[in-house]
Amino acid sequence: MKLVLYSGGDARANREIDNELFRMVGVSNPLMAYIPASSYLSEFEFQHFVDQYKRFRVKRFLHFPVDVPFDKILFKEVLKADIIHLGGGNTFHFLLWLRKTKMLEALKDYVFRGGILTGLSAGAIMMTPDISTAGMPSFDRDENHDNIKNLDAMALLEFDFFPHYRNSPRYDAEFRRFSRKTKRCLYVSPDGAGIIIDGEKRTFVGPTWLFHEGKKIAIN
Amino acid sequence: MVSSVKKSVGDMQDAKKAYPAFAKINGDHPFKSQVSEGRVEYRARTKKGGRVVFFHFDLAKEMGLLPKDHPNTLNPDLEAQILETFSIQIINEWDIENNIKFPETEIRPNTYMATRYLQLQHPDKSGRTSGDGRTVWNGTIRNQGVTWDLSSCGTGGTKLSPAVNIQKKYFQSGDPSVSYGCGCSETGEGLETLFFSEVFDKNRIKTERLLMTIEYDKGLAINVRAYPNLMRPSHFFGHLKQGNYKTLRQVADYHIERQALNGAWLDVRSKGPSEKYQYMLNQVARTFAETAARLEDEYIFCWLDWDGDNILMDGGIIDYGSIRQFGLFHSEYRYDDVQRFSTTILEQKQKAKYIVQCFAQITDFLIKKKKRPLADFKNHASLKFFEEVFEEAKYKNLLHKVGLREKFSGDLLKSHLNEVRVFRRAFTWFERAKAQRGTYKVADGITRDAIFCMRDILRELPQLYLTRGELLQPEEFIEIIRSSYAKKPDLRLTPMMLKQIQRFQVSYLNLVDLAARAQKKERHQVLLDITMRSSVINKYDRVTGDSITYVVQKVARCRPRLKPEELFQLMGEFAHYQTLDPDGRGQVVDEAVGDGYPARQKNILRGMAGIVRECREGL
Repeated sequence: MKLVLYSGGDARANREIDNELFRMVGVSNPLMAYIPASSYLSEFEFQHFVDQYKRFRVKRFLHFPVDVPFDKILFKEVLKADIIHLGGGNTFHFLLWLRKTKMLEALKDYVFRGGILTGLSAGAIMMTPDISTAGMPSFDRDENHDNIKNLDAMALLEFDFFPHYRNSPRYDAEFRRFSRKTKRCLYVSPDGAGIIIDGEKRTFVGPTWLFHEGKKIAIN
Repeated sequence: MVSSVKKSVGDMQDAKKAYPAFAKINGDHPFKSQVSEGRVEYRARTKKGGRVVFFHFDLAKEMGLLPKDHPNTLNPDLEAQILETFSIQIINEWDIENNIKFPETEIRPNTYMATRYLQLQHPDKSGRTSGDGRTVWNGTIRNQGVTWDLSSCGTGGTKLSPAVNIQKKYFQSGDPSVSYGCGCSETGEGLETLFFSEVFDKNRIKTERLLMTIEYDKGLAINVRAYPNLMRPSHFFGHLKQGNYKTLRQVADYHIERQALNGAWLDVRSKGPSEKYQYMLNQVARTFAETAARLEDEYIFCWLDWDGDNILMDGGIIDYGSIRQFGLFHSEYRYDDVQRFSTTILEQKQKAKYIVQCFAQITDFLIKKKKRPLADFKNHASLKFFEEVFEEAKYKNLLHKVGLREKFSGDLLKSHLNEVRVFRRAFTWFERAKAQRGTYKVADGITRDAIFCMRDILRELPQLYLTRGELLQPEEFIEIIRSSYAKKPDLRLTPMMLKQIQRFQVSYLNLVDLAARAQKKERHQVLLDITMRSSVINKYDRVTGDSITYVVQKVARCRPRLKPEELFQLMGEFAHYQTLDPDGRGQVVDEAVGDGYPARQKNILRGMAGIVRECREGL
């Protein structure tokens, strides 16, 4: 299983994670598919995405929003990509449409077939057991406009992930409570940091902290 | 209950000091002094009970009405100043006939003009009785080298309205027994103009702009429009029809002078009279050819009938009552205007050309002082010029839609016109294909459905070529290009369909290769560039006329809770979302829609995006 979790930030901030990502890619002319969290203005996000990965000599890209109807031709092509990237945005909206379009299952299958799945912010949370962390912290959370009740995500990982972390007591108090409640590990990373999973190997790029059963531990 | 801003004399003086540019807008307009028989003047009085429900802060700053650093909020002084300047109602012929008295303190010192122009729905049909039926011109304002015209719709019924001339009597402003003739406008009309025109403006389609809406009881409103030159072809045609040389010449001179003043027409002032009018004709021919091509390619239905009252002299759109934008090329749609059906989108070109023919006649009349029959100009050189410009614009528009950069498409047209022509033929074949269902009635007219969505194929094709490096199978091509209007019989892979699919794909890739060669790049590099540009130009959800109607209904429902500045913000965000400019990279938002906006506005915006998506292939 090859997964890359980006916390957030721009191309420059994520250079190190990108380097790690391309060390995992075993083909010479990879195809990258970009799945935005929402189609709203995603054309421009796609332009930024292409700019970011053109530097790694990627020549083939696909743009595939899931909250607008799509045809099966492009859908099949996306699932043949070497890397599929899940964009950032409103996690609840993203989950709703990934589930509606049966992409959650298709993406899990893609990962088990050896595809590399990457995700930024909401896209990274999507690989965890559920998207509860999108509702945190209470003072700066994603709005659940679509009123989604079932927060189950892909569960490719056994831990939770929180992006855009700021090392502050306000955040920490919520995360301590959360980790006590779930009994799962919660990794939190600021922008520019992230986690790379390559089979059994887990690499932390940039500063990351672990919250577990109410305790905070610096990982990297 | 509509509230109004009440200000004491002292307060009003403070407001005037804070917003001195408004004082210039008082009914004075150069058209009054330069065109002797081009207008009817009305005295006006203060109209009470109004409140500003929308104000375009950015436009006001562009026009110099507000200082650049003015916050986008409507403070009490600004609202008072707006109402003082624009909340007026004319004292019309009915008021005078019925000896209605108004307090002198409420009567404005200057008169306001309603301009005369040709309108075919008048029995007279020669422009003697027609023109602005419910609009007066507020004046002009000049800022940064541009003089703007301002006019207000809904300021009372004038004697130039069709109702007065059909029923041969005057009407009280607001008389509910007549609709258009009552001289009123509505908030909904303003909102429809606002949302449509702002999207068009952002996409560089010339259009009138809505500066503000002042609302009164029962949804009635004054909608104030602004544009650098509000002259329409119909302002010329009435005087042409009447053979009124003097006024026609005054209108032409006035128009030329304004275009020169605004820097729209260069070096025209130094020309002699004959050359000047010839220059105007060339400009009209070029403008109307480019406009007709653009409207056709953007699927914009604008009823370009020859009286030319739905379009401005520079091809700008005015009066959104019958404007539509189709999602597909529904080229057989006709609007039912009770007495007659409108033109179709494909017939617009001939109507535009006819307008040019009329200007050839006008130019000849102005130069030779003798009016010759219009038929004498059916082979005029300006019409040949029109055809040339139209064709060139069609090719350029097509290459833009494909996603090619303008600087390379010019080379392509110069050196490889034949190859572009082959692609255009294939493109047009799919674009114009219609459903076997045939013609049927819709709510406001008749139509026959287009069955293919060209935006979808242009968006996906470069990505798939980039990925696969080979042509699509015919079934795949159809799967992508088919619209929701296409039924099974429409999509049969007949020999002709197969041939066209092959032709489309081969000629498309041929263009990509030619562009690559010209740029000294690899095919995949050009395809990637096209992929990114085309994803913006041909985005999945683009507004249609129906979607604007529903969007406005949604906004109207929410509007009682929206402040003018919130409506302004909402309009700006909606127009931004509908900007299909691949070079104007939009800000990346970190939310489903509209990051940074209050939750209520986000909800509205999300609803609007849903409507646009739902209606994206319709009328």
